[in-house]
Amino acid sequence: MSTTSLPPGTRQSLPPSLMSTLPGAYYTDPDVFALEQRRIFESMWFCAVRAADLPKPGAFKTVQVGAESILVTRARDNSIRAFYNVCRHRGARISTEESGEVKRSFQCPYHAWTYDLEGRLIAAPNLTKMPDVDRVAYGLVNVAVREWLGYVWVCLADEPPSFEEDVMGAVRTRLGDVADIDNYDVAGLKVGRRIVYDVKANWKLIVENFMECYHCATIHPELTEVLPEFADGYAAQYYVGHGALFGEEIQGFTVDGSAGLDRIPTVSQEQDRRYYAITIKPQVFVNLVPDHVIWHRMFPLAADRTVVECDWLYLPEVVDGGADIDRSVELFHRVNTQDFDACERCQPAMSSRTYADGGVLVPSEQHIGLFHDWVRGRLAD
Amino acid sequence: MIPACPLRSLPRGEAFRLDVEPPIAVFHTEDGEIYAIDDTCTHQDASLADGWLEGCEVECPLHASKFDLRTGQVDAPPAKLPVRTHRVVVEDDTIFVVPSDAPANLPPGVAVRCQGAA
Repeated sequence: MSTTSLPPGTRQSLPPSLMSTLPGAYYTDPDVFALEQRRIFESMWFCAVRAADLPKPGAFKTVQVGAESILVTRARDNSIRAFYNVCRHRGARISTEESGEVKRSFQCPYHAWTYDLEGRLIAAPNLTKMPDVDRVAYGLVNVAVREWLGYVWVCLADEPPSFEEDVMGAVRTRLGDVADIDNYDVAGLKVGRRIVYDVKANWKLIVENFMECYHCATIHPELTEVLPEFADGYAAQYYVGHGALFGEEIQGFTVDGSAGLDRIPTVSQEQDRRYYAITIKPQVFVNLVPDHVIWHRMFPLAADRTVVECDWLYLPEVVDGGADIDRSVELFHRVNTQDFDACERCQPAMSSRTYADGGVLVPSEQHIGLFHDWVRGRLAD
Repeated sequence: MIPACPLRSLPRGEAFRLDVEPPIAVFHTEDGEIYAIDDTCTHQDASLADGWLEGCEVECPLHASKFDLRTGQVDAPPAKLPVRTHRVVVEDDTIFVVPSDAPANLPPGVAVRCQGAA
């Protein structure tokens, strides 16, 4: 698609307090979504799976990254590998399962082309009669992989951008120092609960929602009770390095403000009793509180559909000890449900003629304008 | 007696495909034994030297039938016929194979080609 066919920007003149959003078509147009798949999700580092979900060699997960299906697995040397989930022979999906475990090879169910856990073509009917078929050149196509904070990030770009700048940089921009996240030992924590939300909304609505807190007092009564400053509408993400302070009566980050779980011992005094939120573009949201970390991965599947996989991470002894994490999980599960309901409420209106030029951002939301500029920039040229 | 490869070039757990007609696979087991069998699975043209060696058995990489390196017997379908076994001689650090005189149980397409070549 040529960039000239992108929906135009808002032309209306606005009062100084307001700033325009993206035009409605950015949230509905399949061509815009296809361009986002290529220029954003298939070009940037994409947080694909929790490394602990691949506990041993041969364990695998398939994830959609942009328009591609990617097979993520653990090789015999315990390193994590990722491949396009496409047989090099005639293009059949190697695996149609979301997860599973193979003993020592991936075999295409169509003609039995067989690849080892490093992706090398190791066997195929009559392969010995084709000595000119190089087993690496005709192996599964590799995707760049990084492991950080216990998650596996993949990048489909031929020349991946700097992980340090793009991913770690996003954390530094938000927290002030990338080392601040180390105090939460995210890689050492364990998934206590995972909830998968199938949201009928464009991924950008979800990002925008996560970035602002103008809606907090209206749709998040429980969260605003725990974090009273959210009532003024300024999100934790508005100021660099700022974490929202728990209310005075609040004992922990739980649905009723009761005590949470064992505190992560390396969390600093400054970080105690505070909530930090980070957006790692394009598809990760992280919340840090003293006793757990909430980690969202978005999987945009269509212009109007996004799957969000959310992990609640606790100290391993909390999870293994069978502690009751229900009230802890319930707080942000409610927040998620409230947020995603709001996003689904907006999605149908994105194609309304009254929203063709988009909506407006109030001052406490105007950092979302930077996100819009960023999206436009990625889609341009 | 055909020279296959130097003993030191075939570590334990590895296999060597001897490019004769029909090809022969030589295996060095983890226990240090050396065995030779026909390289081609009796079900479909696949190289058993590319398969997985476990103890005294090799599993075909395509459809997982397992062949006993000592007897050539197959454990389970889709392969039904055994592979031939060949005598192995190690002399002066070289592995030699003495090909069997028995008729080979080659899969359909391969059998035709071998007859044509003969």
